[in-house]
Amino acid sequence: MTRRVRTRLVAAVVATAALVASGCGGGSAGGGGAGGTIIRGTTDQPVSYDPAGAYDLPSYDVIYSVYQNLLTIPPGGNKPVPEAAQACDWTNSTTYKCTLKDGLKFSNGDPLTSEDVKFSFDRNVEIADPNGASSLLANLKSTDAPDPKTVIFHLAKPDATFPFLLTVASFAIVDHKVFPADKLQPSDKVIGSGHYTVASFKPGQQTVLEKNPTYTPTYDGDEAAKNDRVIIQYFNTSSALKLAVQQGPANGGVDIAYRSLSPTDLSSLKSASGVNVVEGNGTEIRYLVFNLKLMPGDNDAQKTAIRQAVAYTIDRDAIANNVYDGTVQPLYSMVPQGLQFATEAFKDRYGATPNVDAAKKVLADAGVKTPVPLEIWYTPSHYGPVSGDEYAEIKHELDSSGLFDVTLKSTEWEQYSTDAFTNKYPVFQLGWFPDYPDANDYTQPFYAPNKESFLNISYSNPEMTKLLADEVATTNDAKRAADFKRIQEIGAEDAPTIPYWQGKQVAAVRDGISGVEQTFDPSFIFRYWLISKSS
Amino acid sequence: MSRSGSLRAYLLTRVALAIPTVLILLTLVFVLMRVAPGNPIQAALGGHVSQQIIERKTHAAGYDRPILVQYADYLKDVFTGHLGQTITDKTPVTRIVVNNGSATAELAIAAFLVALAIGVPLGVLAGRFRDTPVDTGGRLFGIFVYAAPVFFTGFLAQLVFGVKLGWLPTSGRVGPVTEFTLDKPTHFYVIDSIITGNWSAFGDVLRHLILPAITLGLLVSGVLIRLVRVNMLQTMRGDYVEAARARGVPERRVVIHHAFRNALVPVVTVAGLQFATLLGGAILTEQTFNWPGIGAALVRYLNLRDYIAVQGIVTVFAIAVVVVSLLIDVINAFVDPRVRY
Amino acid sequence: MAAIRLGGLRRTAARVRQARGVPKWLLYTGLAIVAFFTVLAIFAPLIAPYGFAQVTSGGVHFPKQSAPSSAHLFGTTVQATDVLSRVIWGARTAIEVVLLAVALSLVVGVPLGLVSGYIGGKLDRALVMLNDALFAFPYLLLAIVIAFLLSNSFLGQGIVTAAVAITVVYVPQYFRVVRNHVISVREETYVEAARALGAKRRTIITRYVLYNVVQNVPVIATLNAADAILTLAALGFLGYGIQPTQAAEWGYDVSRAIDDASAGIWWTGLFPGLAIVLLVTGFTLIGEGLNDVLNPLIRSRRIRVPEIPEPGAAAREQEPA
Repeated sequence: MTRRVRTRLVAAVVATAALVASGCGGGSAGGGGAGGTIIRGTTDQPVSYDPAGAYDLPSYDVIYSVYQNLLTIPPGGNKPVPEAAQACDWTNSTTYKCTLKDGLKFSNGDPLTSEDVKFSFDRNVEIADPNGASSLLANLKSTDAPDPKTVIFHLAKPDATFPFLLTVASFAIVDHKVFPADKLQPSDKVIGSGHYTVASFKPGQQTVLEKNPTYTPTYDGDEAAKNDRVIIQYFNTSSALKLAVQQGPANGGVDIAYRSLSPTDLSSLKSASGVNVVEGNGTEIRYLVFNLKLMPGDNDAQKTAIRQAVAYTIDRDAIANNVYDGTVQPLYSMVPQGLQFATEAFKDRYGATPNVDAAKKVLADAGVKTPVPLEIWYTPSHYGPVSGDEYAEIKHELDSSGLFDVTLKSTEWEQYSTDAFTNKYPVFQLGWFPDYPDANDYTQPFYAPNKESFLNISYSNPEMTKLLADEVATTNDAKRAADFKRIQEIGAEDAPTIPYWQGKQVAAVRDGISGVEQTFDPSFIFRYWLISKSS
Repeated sequence: MSRSGSLRAYLLTRVALAIPTVLILLTLVFVLMRVAPGNPIQAALGGHVSQQIIERKTHAAGYDRPILVQYADYLKDVFTGHLGQTITDKTPVTRIVVNNGSATAELAIAAFLVALAIGVPLGVLAGRFRDTPVDTGGRLFGIFVYAAPVFFTGFLAQLVFGVKLGWLPTSGRVGPVTEFTLDKPTHFYVIDSIITGNWSAFGDVLRHLILPAITLGLLVSGVLIRLVRVNMLQTMRGDYVEAARARGVPERRVVIHHAFRNALVPVVTVAGLQFATLLGGAILTEQTFNWPGIGAALVRYLNLRDYIAVQGIVTVFAIAVVVVSLLIDVINAFVDPRVRY
Repeated sequence: MAAIRLGGLRRTAARVRQARGVPKWLLYTGLAIVAFFTVLAIFAPLIAPYGFAQVTSGGVHFPKQSAPSSAHLFGTTVQATDVLSRVIWGARTAIEVVLLAVALSLVVGVPLGLVSGYIGGKLDRALVMLNDALFAFPYLLLAIVIAFLLSNSFLGQGIVTAAVAITVVYVPQYFRVVRNHVISVREETYVEAARALGAKRRTIITRYVLYNVVQNVPVIATLNAADAILTLAALGFLGYGIQPTQAAEWGYDVSRAIDDASAGIWWTGLFPGLAIVLLVTGFTLIGEGLNDVLNPLIRSRRIRVPEIPEPGAAAREQEPA
């Protein structure tokens, strides 16, 4: 290489290095005005921002920000209040009527009328997208829009939970002038009437929301967005997300890390500088399921005894602390704490801590020989790699009581999610996410008889079945409370499923960010509009 | 036969052979995806709704049609260029291929440049000073660097330069805000930031590129060192080199002017062979550095059992590899008259 | 046939014994490393202080993520298993998988390459096309998809599945090298002579062609063993490999350790990672050393420089004293 060439090359390298070094802070959260830009990192990736095509939490996140529903759950609440609607009520046991507020507009200026509402529900059922929630509308016979401010829903059977259904993101109101009736609207071209508009969507990379300047608050506790822009950045591993929140936006990282950080990540972040870990009650639960046909036991009495013995032996505190470092809390009923009508039936019946003696007695009384061989299945990655640790701990607890001999087995989700519900696993792990925060959503799917329950575990208790039918048919809170109390008692007594933890909503936020805790409530709506940043 | 005649025949033969190769690959992909259990609907909704609903939706989506019918549809779609939309996030597959593919291409090119910059000089030195500490040192370096899994070295690099020292970012191709504000006519961020004169973005892009490119480049340099070294040794024994020495040409000139140039000819072939290593390493590097490339997309869609996405991506992958090896063979054919069919 | 193959390898062994200098050290260091890990693998139950999924000992539950100490020399993981034990048991997994994968690849790839190269014709063309197609498939992707498929079949997730996934990726390499070598050998004069003398095809393939070709195999086999370990670790890292309750696998341990490292827990990832590097280096050194020794193009032999007496000295010697 000649000297001239060499000099030129050196000059070029130095110049590039200077540029690179000066790039420090190039990813800063610039943004004019008092609002600024909030960057949230997550490992969850969305499916679609068209409500008819979404039934997953990450899509819901954005849909709640971009659209309005007839009813919604306010921050910190657990019951529906009117959002786009002025008022809603039952006209008879199977007819539900809503009147809309005045002056509602979509972000593109189109007025929001009952025609849009009817359109939204009709197309949801018509499109019946594989990833959508049209199955939740099985009970809806038809929707009427007799005048621009009135919507009438005709149900096939009485359903006290219908108002909750109206709060679900899949049933948000879309603009009938923009959305096609027979297929989904592309995610980056959606139009809603909510706090934000979708400015950009790059699958696998980021979603950018911008404040909707024409939005006006519609219920107590609602406000216009406190920030100008939200960037949702996607990460493929929790460790990358954790590093990003540690580095902060000034170094190309994020302001908020929410869903999902591992327990190790969170423990480490709790002691990191510049970052705070905030939490609130969550509504995700984890439970053990027994297939009544395949589980050990010579007759029904013995099988029940075995299930009750497991309920006596399982150590929920150990799981919550040893495996999850306190990021989950022990759960004593299929209905998690924070929801209306939740009790702690398992604690009432079996005690808060393991009681091996009682377990021994229950087994002896039924004539079950110990140790009972139990084959327990779990899935190693769908619920996070911590599942392996979790079931190792459960095995340890059950084995060391001397009453059980546990064999652990696992398969990946694709196989697991078919086999579990087609009578292949005697005892298995499951998690549950609510469609809406009503106790019905945490009892009916599991305790319904035989094939009506998606679990398909051959469980059937006539008293339970009647109670489930009763609670859904009445809107009388006191009656429902009594029904659910009894439902949870029977659930603990029969124990076809044993709940053991309730997730907390946990996020790591950088100093100066506020509003995240306020949005942690049973609705699972992540209200970006309440989050603000002080420099 | 004239030289150009046989070259043309050779090219035509190679192109003609490429087509059955692509067909076999497509069939392989199809079979693998369909034979594996589960389907995208099961993956998304299993454990949340009853089996009956899942079966109904599966039927509505056509996943339970006879396999040959689905295969025929698949081939028709591929050959008319309709790679379709992904099932899980309704994105046109071509969009994924362009956006993610360019990310991987940018990483691969940068990594290859790093590999060349490290591997070729070290390989030449090792070959020149054979059996001396320089040679052994160079070879051992090459071996270690290839033996260390790229996810291991990558993460160590992140820890040191990203977390402990805080000099460099640890994930992504560019910061979140820049991602949104940068204009991307070519989807190659380095070029785009230069074209649009966005100098702070340029710095940001380079800062994100450094760690992944070096990690992946080191891996490939390990292989390059050994290959260049072996080529050097073989070339340095060649007759024409001996002849130059006999003529009294100083050793330095012998190395640089005679041996080096000829030892580099196989580098072109090596580049093609390392394409496979790069793509394989890219999957792991992308996973480690959260780089939004085609490897990361593939792993994600595979986990989601998204047939359409995986088929589309692998199809493009396969065609790309076939095209690259075709190019390599063509260049070789031009350069080396011994290679003809 | 075995005798013939051994004959070819005997020639290889002779050259190895003749090796001197750097290639010799490379070779022997590599052999030492591989031997060390093989010993670990064979005697794992005796050497490892605990089982690979063991979390208690004598009624005491192991601490989670504890630093190296006298009780746990390499510390413990997030599942409260002993790191040292998992590294040792991981050696067993690695050696088992690699042996199985290399053996399967040889058994499938070499005969296919032999037959295809020698017979030629349509069979050869078809096999070559299939081979090129497999080559075009990015190797890690192929391994992932096969591991994915097989883990849901009767084989389940385990050592056999991992080995088969690796085999499918590497068989094309053996096939290609053996076939190319066979093609160049079959035109040699001595083979033609044998044919002219009326030797059966089978005899020619085994006695002449295989004898020559088999000398290439050890080099490829060791380099492929090195690659196989990396592929196994990559599969484990991405989560398609062996589950932690079935066997210890270094790649999986590193993937869990990445979470730990940013929290300052370095021991869960460093030791398995180093183990991977060492074992792969060991195999590569053997391969490199063998290549130096066997490859005639770069082999260096010690040449004894003959002593040429000075002119006139001989004449002087003969003069009477």
